[in-house]
Amino acid sequence: MNIKLNSRDPVYIQVIRYFKEQIATGILEPGQEIASRRELANKLKINPNTAQRAYKEMEEQGLIFTEGNLPSRITKDEVIIKHVREELILEAVNTFIASIQSINVPLEEAVELIKKNYHKNPNEQEGNQ
Amino acid sequence: MIEVKDITKKFGRKKVLNGVSFTANKGEITCLIGINGVGKTTILNAIMNLTPINSGEVLIDGEKIHKESYEKITFIPDAITMLPQMRIADAMQFMADFYQSWNQVRADELLSFFKLDPNDRISSLSKGNTAKVNMLLGLALDVDYLLMDEPFSGIDIFSREQIADVFTSHLVEDRGVVITTHEISDIEHLIDKAVILNDGVVLREFNAEDVRENEGKSIIDVMREVYQA
Repeated sequence: MNIKLNSRDPVYIQVIRYFKEQIATGILEPGQEIASRRELANKLKINPNTAQRAYKEMEEQGLIFTEGNLPSRITKDEVIIKHVREELILEAVNTFIASIQSINVPLEEAVELIKKNYHKNPNEQEGNQ
Repeated sequence: MIEVKDITKKFGRKKVLNGVSFTANKGEITCLIGINGVGKTTILNAIMNLTPINSGEVLIDGEKIHKESYEKITFIPDAITMLPQMRIADAMQFMADFYQSWNQVRADELLSFFKLDPNDRISSLSKGNTAKVNMLLGLALDVDYLLMDEPFSGIDIFSREQIADVFTSHLVEDRGVVITTHEISDIEHLIDKAVILNDGVVLREFNAEDVRENEGKSIIDVMREVYQA
């Protein structure tokens, strides 16, 4: 698990976001078993109550489901998975728009740059900025 | 629940605790934060009735502490209280003789968790390993509440990580933990509740996730706010 927690956002929200990313990219597959709350707390070095809260919230949002005493699993509902992906994309695009607007970059120029830089590897891009 | 109600404590003419109140729930990790000399250890001593208080009271699950309470709550001081010539095995035997709540199965589990050898003498251990033995002796008691005084102070980063791991494991599960620290950054994501102390009073008592959620602040942000106000 590769997750860097910051200390200002609620930890449970950061955990949910991490799961959403994994679901959207397909690293966590529909129906896949996930770590128990305690395993998660232990891996991420977070409070077990917080892990519990993240799971409860994800359960309510339909991202995961639990049958009886079995380990929780990722949802098989394609509508939800599609929605998660769209949500993450929209969020990233909005963040991008906000930062690009704050330095007055016209749409055409931004689009041009996206096309030009999209396939470069991240290190190269940093050099260009 | 541990309820600390308006306790005051004087050492001679010096007032150390000036009306301290807070609560610590079972199943939660509560952290007393404050610079050195602010009265953190005195509060833990007062909860355990190891030092008389001048006024106020402490209730554990609604009761004042009594003889049997020591099977329900334990205190892990900042330095080990066993004799240095004892082997770890002797120290465990000492605890087993003394407490009904001693759980040897859990003690053995902790030994392997911390990678300790029961035949080692306490005097021969490194500082980090001494701290781990100290933790082990407290954690292996089947008690509902654990008080730990500065479990992270003065030990190396890896031992610190190992001790922090205990908090997310089943070894602490469902118990109420009160720890004191002057260095919060290591354990910021581990604690449920923070109680910030200064000059013998509680400046602020809050749930860490609530403050992140409602105010967008880290525990350190809140500390900066209250100390610099």
